[in-house]
Amino acid sequence: MTSPTLHPLAAAYLARLRAAARDLPSTRRDELVTEIEDHLVEVIPPDATDAQVLTELDRLGEPAEIVEAERPEPEWVAPAATPTQPAAIEPAPRRGAQEWVAIVLLLVGGFAWGVGWFLGALMLWTSRAWKLRDKLIGTLIIPGGLALTWLVLFAPWVISTPRKCGSVDGHETCTGGMSINDTLFVVLLVASFIAPFVTATYLAIRAGRAERAGRTAPAMSAAG
Amino acid sequence: MVARRETSISQLRRGVLEFCVLALLRDGERYGVELVRTLGEADGLVTTEGTLYPLLGRLRREGLVETTWRESPSGPPRRYYRLTSEGDDALRVFSRDWARFRTSVDGLLETGPTP
Repeated sequence: MTSPTLHPLAAAYLARLRAAARDLPSTRRDELVTEIEDHLVEVIPPDATDAQVLTELDRLGEPAEIVEAERPEPEWVAPAATPTQPAAIEPAPRRGAQEWVAIVLLLVGGFAWGVGWFLGALMLWTSRAWKLRDKLIGTLIIPGGLALTWLVLFAPWVISTPRKCGSVDGHETCTGGMSINDTLFVVLLVASFIAPFVTATYLAIRAGRAERAGRTAPAMSAAG
Repeated sequence: MVARRETSISQLRRGVLEFCVLALLRDGERYGVELVRTLGEADGLVTTEGTLYPLLGRLRREGLVETTWRESPSGPPRRYYRLTSEGDDALRVFSRDWARFRTSVDGLLETGPTP
């Protein structure tokens, strides 16, 4: 690519530019280096002295400055934070509408014949605001969300099997003190009632953290 | 505080620079080095000519300018830049806004706010 007529000092400058631009996407880097190379070929005559070449290189500026100008623009309102940022090519993860809807659906979506919960899980897994661990926690604690607790609470077969129950006037009544099974059942019930809320809170916090971490990168993606 | 003021000025410069490029193209196409040289010679506008190339690339990606390669009478082919109709519109809007902005700022800087 390097032109045979390019002065050694200019060639060395281009090499420095290419090194400084190594974090840029390759098409942008190649284009930038080619443009600067064309500029140098244009402004440096074949018989230029070292001093002339150095003057032209000074006018161009430091390779690092040029590469910095190639990066996405920093936010107009938040100037100071940008100089040493790594190349942020990926859109920032954000806690947007999808994340909030996913959290709500995972919690109460199960009441809509279970479909809502599956939709919530789908949104959880397609969101970029959560890591794998968050997604596993969101799915497994507790599948179905509060609807499962509700189902367990009102499913007569769960309550009636371990206890002695009789039928009086068509109403089912159960007698006798709490067995160990009953105590365990109550503990599990309370836990399964609290756990979905804890998970929802956890997911909201984790998504918020991802959002804050991503905010330094320009928020160009509306996809979330 | 001084550092912050310098940042503000450089941001202001960065903000208006793209419109200066568009303005240079209003009367017809120009090639890269020509644009860069003209802007570089304008007092206080550009400190390093090399940083203009990323700007030109951005304007092209945003569709405000388009480019054509043409043979040069001396040396390698040159990439010529030309305004698109979007670029022309953007320039027109900016020129109008800038006139109001400049009048207001000049007024405040010279006389202070009028009661």
